[in-house]
Amino acid sequence: MSNKKNSRRNFITKSALAAFTALVGTKIVYGANFPAELEPIGLDETVDGEKLPGKSEALTILNHKPWNAETPTHLLDPEITPANLMFVRNNGIPPTEFDLDTWTLTIEGEAAEQKKVFTLKELYENFTHYTYDLTLECGGNGRSEFNPPAKGNQWGLGAVACTRWTGVRLKDVLNAVGLKNSAVYIGYYGADTHLSGDTKKVVISRGVPIKKAMEDESLIAWAMNGEAIPVMNGYPLRLVMGGWPASVSGKWLTKIVIRDKEHDGPKMGGQSYRVPKYPVPPGTKVPDEDMKIIESMPVKSIVTYPKTGAIIAKGQSFEVRGHAWAGDLMVKSVIVSLDFGVTWQKCELNPPKNRLAWQRWRTEITLPSYGYYEIWARAMDENGTVQPMILPGWNPKGYLNNACHRIAVKQA
Amino acid sequence: MTEKKEIYQQAIKQAKRTISWATLLIVVAVIFTIQLTYFPRFFSAPNENISALDTSAIDPMLATMNLNPDEIENGIHIPTGLIVDDGVDQVIMTCGACHSLDLVTQNKADRKGWKDIIVWMQETQGLWDLGEKEEVILTYLAKNYAPVDEGRRRNIEIIDWYEL
Repeated sequence: MSNKKNSRRNFITKSALAAFTALVGTKIVYGANFPAELEPIGLDETVDGEKLPGKSEALTILNHKPWNAETPTHLLDPEITPANLMFVRNNGIPPTEFDLDTWTLTIEGEAAEQKKVFTLKELYENFTHYTYDLTLECGGNGRSEFNPPAKGNQWGLGAVACTRWTGVRLKDVLNAVGLKNSAVYIGYYGADTHLSGDTKKVVISRGVPIKKAMEDESLIAWAMNGEAIPVMNGYPLRLVMGGWPASVSGKWLTKIVIRDKEHDGPKMGGQSYRVPKYPVPPGTKVPDEDMKIIESMPVKSIVTYPKTGAIIAKGQSFEVRGHAWAGDLMVKSVIVSLDFGVTWQKCELNPPKNRLAWQRWRTEITLPSYGYYEIWARAMDENGTVQPMILPGWNPKGYLNNACHRIAVKQA
Repeated sequence: MTEKKEIYQQAIKQAKRTISWATLLIVVAVIFTIQLTYFPRFFSAPNENISALDTSAIDPMLATMNLNPDEIENGIHIPTGLIVDDGVDQVIMTCGACHSLDLVTQNKADRKGWKDIIVWMQETQGLWDLGEKEEVILTYLAKNYAPVDEGRRRNIEIIDWYEL
């Protein structure tokens, strides 16, 4: 335990300017003029051989300051995503020191009946525990396909996971504190720090309307897949609200505010996690006041088996499978096409383990003859809404790309 | 007579001791002054707040770095992945100060798009005024990381075909 704690404490190592110069062999002329604080961390990985702490090397690293990494889609095949394979989307620097005895969660705000502070022990002992499988997907998952390109981490398809979360219901804790009639929104604050090093600057503080916060599946969680939450995913405490952009599920949770208006923390306003109120031509600059907050994520599916690039022997049939999810809704059906969307075949689809968990789909496929094929998967939600085959509506920050996942296969 | 001599010797001893202490004090004072003048940050805790710093105070012409030619392959600076061109040093030093350079190499935008990103970082993320560096950086980014029209769907890229 103490060893674990130590390694956590040291997981972000710093390289001095001198070490940087010596190891990388890059000569910095007039080094005296180079502010020592502005350590050129762009080379961290090369200098330190530093890997993403607590995570599998199979993840695709998009960014290491702040850490952002996604899961190759074929590794999302298990029903429950293993902890070391869950994607990482950090906006700032995670905390490096954790004292579980003194870690507290404060509930306050203009629409709270009182201010109340809970220790982890109090949360654990005073409220009923619940466990749910919940799908968390980054609002920008799939961003890399937008044209013209949207700025930010260029996510492929792997900023999504369905893991088993254990904790207490957010509504039980909010009710224990008391909500005024004026309560309309909650917002969270976490212990991560801003990239600029300014300790007063809040990295990200988003939230959800009270209705979403009061759902049974909205959790204040301390465990994932039966173990402590990985540091990169919010250890020791985080919000988990499945089906909405994962950025509403605050990590390293220290405070929840009950608001009498839409929460206005950093990355709630402007262009962040917002899309145009009306469809726009690709590349349009949309004024802030014409943008709306993303709520439930759209219907989507991925092919997790086989891995793209499979060569199939002649006449061999093989299983194709994956997961499908639809924000707050259920998935009603999944179909696949082998001929670029001309014909489709229906797949078996399992019900979700619980509300907001992704659903397993599978089918058996035999390729008709020699050649190159793409397997396209397309899910439909309970309202009859389907995934588009090409990119959905362009938006300035590249959110909500739920275009069909495609894998390539060949028959030998 | 011997008593007088003893008092005399004692006085000399006392004087020697005083001189030694004074010398030591002077040496310490000199070292302290040198440190204050030439290494003012030596004993101070590092300033973690980079947004409080202002690199425009540094002559932009002086703050340059030379890339190691051994680390350049096919026009790419291997440690950072950046395309080697005029201004790459400024991008490494300025952009790499706060975030990973992966954020540069994985993004594409025209000059106006890159300018918007700089303004956004200045308005919300604590980026300082880049002064004369901005022109150099924008020219580098707009030339080397310009958008490519990919249409509404790209072809699937297969890196490794394998037998199922």
